[in-house]
Amino acid sequence: MSTPVILGINLAILVALGAIAKTVKSDPTTKGGFNFNYTTSDLVIMAVLGALAGVINTWMGNIWYAANTVSPIYGAALQGTFMWAYVLAYFLVRKSGTMLIIGLIEASVEALLGNQAGLSTLGWGISQGIGAEVVMAFCMYSKFGWLALGLAGAGASQFGTVWSFILYGWTSLQDYLIAAPINMISGFIFSGLLGYYLGKMIEKTGLLRSTRRKEE
Amino acid sequence: MSEHSLRYIDNGSFFTRIDALSKLLWVVLVILVTFQLTDNSARLVMLGLLFFIMIFLARIPFKSVWQAMPIILIMGTLLFFVHLFSTPSTSYINIAGFTLGQQGFDKGLQYFLRITIMVLASFILIWTTDIRDLMVGLVSIGMPYRYAFTVFMALRFLPVVQQEVDAVKAAHAIRGRAARSPLQHRFRLWQRYMFTVIVNGLRKAENTALAIESRGFGAYPDRTYTKQFHWTKTGIALILFFILFAIALLLWERSLI
Repeated sequence: MSTPVILGINLAILVALGAIAKTVKSDPTTKGGFNFNYTTSDLVIMAVLGALAGVINTWMGNIWYAANTVSPIYGAALQGTFMWAYVLAYFLVRKSGTMLIIGLIEASVEALLGNQAGLSTLGWGISQGIGAEVVMAFCMYSKFGWLALGLAGAGASQFGTVWSFILYGWTSLQDYLIAAPINMISGFIFSGLLGYYLGKMIEKTGLLRSTRRKEE
Repeated sequence: MSEHSLRYIDNGSFFTRIDALSKLLWVVLVILVTFQLTDNSARLVMLGLLFFIMIFLARIPFKSVWQAMPIILIMGTLLFFVHLFSTPSTSYINIAGFTLGQQGFDKGLQYFLRITIMVLASFILIWTTDIRDLMVGLVSIGMPYRYAFTVFMALRFLPVVQQEVDAVKAAHAIRGRAARSPLQHRFRLWQRYMFTVIVNGLRKAENTALAIESRGFGAYPDRTYTKQFHWTKTGIALILFFILFAIALLLWERSLI
């Protein structure tokens, strides 16, 4: 099993998830398009969520490491618990690149708080962020419904395993392929759905009225 | 735990005085070279160099190193045992009365050393570098300051998050939260903590954004800093020395010198 093989498998999975995200109905749906024009409020929201997620993920990481070193199958069930903040930030900020930026922020916080992979943690931030971004790019960042965000969570969760493979070097392709659907289900539920429902609850508090007003 | 053992130690050591970007570049080089090494003895030499830097050039206090050791070693040790027992071996070695597969032992040691080297290099950077200097350095090589500021702000928010958690816990306790309760109840409490902390954090984010914008943040493409970034001669020397060391190590392990 080599890195190009793993990369190829994961790119195919991302394309499939993106294609599904493009076809699913979503509520809410916006005009979409690439928008990298972040306001100060967007950046501070990402900083706060990145700090929170960094603290929680550093703790969660210890459990995941123990499971994942044994086999990707065990790690897969927990893999999805790390990206809820990516989806939540995207739901709140609603701009392209949000998930990659928060991935980098959250991974930097983890690295500095004492994640067991040191600065290599950034590799997960980047790979998971890219995974979620690619899925959302397929629907031109226009969908914010539970299904679309769930697929983004699944994509992030699965693509993060590319970096895990580079670091840990599993030898069994069979184990890896068995782990893939578990990874995606875990990402769909613990990242996608959790991020979406947290976003919905925060929206109900009226806290983001000023952010939304600026966009309008 | 890690907040205390893993923080910048301003002890005026040789390594601390090196500029932040050179040290970051050095860590990246260490990681890249470690992936190129094919022999465990070469990896051991690399690990030895890192220990030399940590003890003599960075002068990290023993207490900090000791506190961080579990973080550094646990992952590598786990990987060692997993590969030791999962890799098929054709020849066997005897260590302290235990018969172990040669190939499994070699592969386990390979992953133990690889992970330990990468984590130790990262920790040396954290121990010897003020994050503010690193951010100013990254901005000086073209990173937009708004993004650098975002990472810096996330780190500044960490104690605020901790205070927020304490405040929410205290609020729950005042309202009669049970000190000991079943797991299910604890899970629900944890859910409430999470949501309250997120909402309070976002409220602070809105206020912070307003405050920094009213002070002109983001109004200009550039900004000034009280502490400017400068490449240091020792930093450049570190990079050059490490490149020479890495080339020599790679040639040595391939028996070319």
